[in-house]
Amino acid sequence: MPKVSLRNMGRELAVFIALIIMIIVFALIDSAYVTTGNLVDIVKQSTINGILAIGITFAIISGGIDLSIGCTFAIVIVAVGELTVRGVPPLVAIVMGAALGFMMGTINGFLVTKMHLQPFIATLGTMSVYRGLAYVVTGGWPVLNIPDNYRRILNAKVIGDIPGSIFVLIGIAVLAHILLKTTRFGNYLFAVGGNEESAKLSGVNVSRTKIIAYGFCGFCAAFAGMIMLANLGTGEPASGQGYELDAIAAAAIGGTRMAGGKGSVLGTVLGALLLAALKIGLIITGVSTFWQYIVTGIIIIIAAYFEIIQTKISALIS
Amino acid sequence: MDGEKVVFKNPNDAIIKGCISKVHQEVNVVRDLTVGQNITLGYEPSRAMIVDYKKLNPTVNKILERLKCNFRSEDMAYTLTAGQMQMLSIAKALFHNSRVISLDEPTASLTVRETEALFAIIRELRESGITIIYVSHRLDEVFQICDRATILRDGAYITTLETATTTREDLIQYMVGREVNATATRMKESCVQEEVALEVEGLTRKGVFKDISFQLHKGEILGFSGLVGAGRTEVMRAIFGADKLTSGQVRLKGKPVRIKNTQDALRSGIGLLPEERKTQGFINFTTNTDNVALSCLEKFLTNGFVDKKKKLRNYRHFAEELQINPRQPEFLTQNMSGGNQQKIILARWLSTNVDVIIFDEPTKGVDVAAKAEIYRLMEEIVHSGKSVIVVSSELPEVIGISDRIIVMCEGEKTAELEREAFSEETILNYAMGGNGNA
Repeated sequence: MPKVSLRNMGRELAVFIALIIMIIVFALIDSAYVTTGNLVDIVKQSTINGILAIGITFAIISGGIDLSIGCTFAIVIVAVGELTVRGVPPLVAIVMGAALGFMMGTINGFLVTKMHLQPFIATLGTMSVYRGLAYVVTGGWPVLNIPDNYRRILNAKVIGDIPGSIFVLIGIAVLAHILLKTTRFGNYLFAVGGNEESAKLSGVNVSRTKIIAYGFCGFCAAFAGMIMLANLGTGEPASGQGYELDAIAAAAIGGTRMAGGKGSVLGTVLGALLLAALKIGLIITGVSTFWQYIVTGIIIIIAAYFEIIQTKISALIS
Repeated sequence: MDGEKVVFKNPNDAIIKGCISKVHQEVNVVRDLTVGQNITLGYEPSRAMIVDYKKLNPTVNKILERLKCNFRSEDMAYTLTAGQMQMLSIAKALFHNSRVISLDEPTASLTVRETEALFAIIRELRESGITIIYVSHRLDEVFQICDRATILRDGAYITTLETATTTREDLIQYMVGREVNATATRMKESCVQEEVALEVEGLTRKGVFKDISFQLHKGEILGFSGLVGAGRTEVMRAIFGADKLTSGQVRLKGKPVRIKNTQDALRSGIGLLPEERKTQGFINFTTNTDNVALSCLEKFLTNGFVDKKKKLRNYRHFAEELQINPRQPEFLTQNMSGGNQQKIILARWLSTNVDVIIFDEPTKGVDVAAKAEIYRLMEEIVHSGKSVIVVSSELPEVIGISDRIIVMCEGEKTAELEREAFSEETILNYAMGGNGNA
């Protein structure tokens, strides 16, 4: 039995060890890397990508993908920006932003389930629509002068140097973990991604499960956007471009199976942390931005290959 | 090979060096290529990197003529029937001049007529000096077509026998290693009750089946026989809500129900063990416990959350009752044997307390010992007051375990037989559209 549970935890453990090794290596090169401030920076840096990645993990486990999250992110930024500027109380604006994100996600879910579109194409379409909407709403201009009472909620230093946004990440991670592991929805999600036809023939409501998964993905994108809005103080309709790819990378490094049916919140969060640790490490050690892209890409490929080796090894053991 | 030692690095290597071709159980055909392109795939006759169709098509057609195929090299592969695709694979073996052809369960998806045609071809190939390795679960076929039979059990070589001097019972004994009544028989008394559990009337799905009516009694095992493609699976899927109905009425315990999707079926108390376990039955990357729990998670809730302990308790109960092996709750169902996978899916439905369980080809790809266990479990199910429908293409199976048999042919019900009227000849006659004058 321990062998089996070790195999289940194997991926998260491996990413965690890789993260520790990476921190040690950077620390040996430059001791400035392991200061408290810098470690907090790593977590801060991973907040937005981490939240986006948790969301997309749900879409990927369902057997799909959501390319539109960077654009959902942008719409929520300008929408919540407008709301707060017009004097809507910050907490109300946050709830409305989250609902908006969830709704945009469910539109993706609707396209995928009721209209039977391929997730890649469906969300490629909404990606463009959502981006366009963000520009239309603001006429292409950023929303300026976001009130401080809003910014303080998501960006205030809560304990020492640790900003509130990190607690949003932790909160969403815990919520997502509970959803995946202990609710009927979570059980159904793995079933739908692992084998859709089997799930259907077991009496699982496949459409509803997928729509909720995409809705949650949009919900996460909304929170990531609202944190960005608080951090910057301006709502830029062009923001979030390419963020979906970083989110997919974090999920992939964390062991989410791209064809669905497999993945974990812990793995994805560790994947986001690893990417952030890498990025900051490369900056501190003075490696050029161009090389950062190359190294990041190589890490993703290694992570994917690790999955294949792991499968082979576990096949040998059993 | 011919006394020489050969090592095959991969399937391609085997084809080139030793001329061994394997015809797979599930035929590997690229649907959007022509027959000729499929057969020559990877070895297309070509001139300066451009495929030479003037050479390819006649070469392939010559092979197809030899196999007496009624399709041509230029036909698109997706237009072929399952039987024709099988012939395509054999043609591919001949294209590579294979001297050894291995067929893995070739008749699994073939109709009776196609099987006859295949056997004629196999005999002809044997006459021309080609060696055939024929892997099959169907013992009748082994005696019909094979000269010698080798028995493997649990990955080990057991023995090789001359089929001419061996009986079916001998063979079975070697296969199970102990005496097991492998042919399907009822061990307990029939327990059919008056009460009607499920009644369907005029069930029609346009172009697939029409006007299907029957009654399923409480405690009954109702067999559904017919040739592959007769529409039995489709009727069951429609009753279960997996496919849409054009018209028809389903009544459960006398009450009309509308089953629009599989959730409705589950709520109404109908369960289905699908034909293809791998693609329709269990969930990949998922443990036995979770696979069993999937259809009734609401039973395992504590404060609204799914309780692992309750799922585990449920699994252990059924693992014990159904003798699931390996029994570890954390074991991935995808790594189990066919028979045990079937038991996992059965356990899933038993967990839900459904009243009607539909078994679609329950013993397909299941070894002899596990078959007997599945029959025993079916009997236990009906003795507990539930009802069972069995769709099976194996005649001894439906005859052995059913209380009544409904025969279908090309989407229509052609007969409803009581136990005293059971015989392979009668059923086959109705299955092929006959009118009962066997």
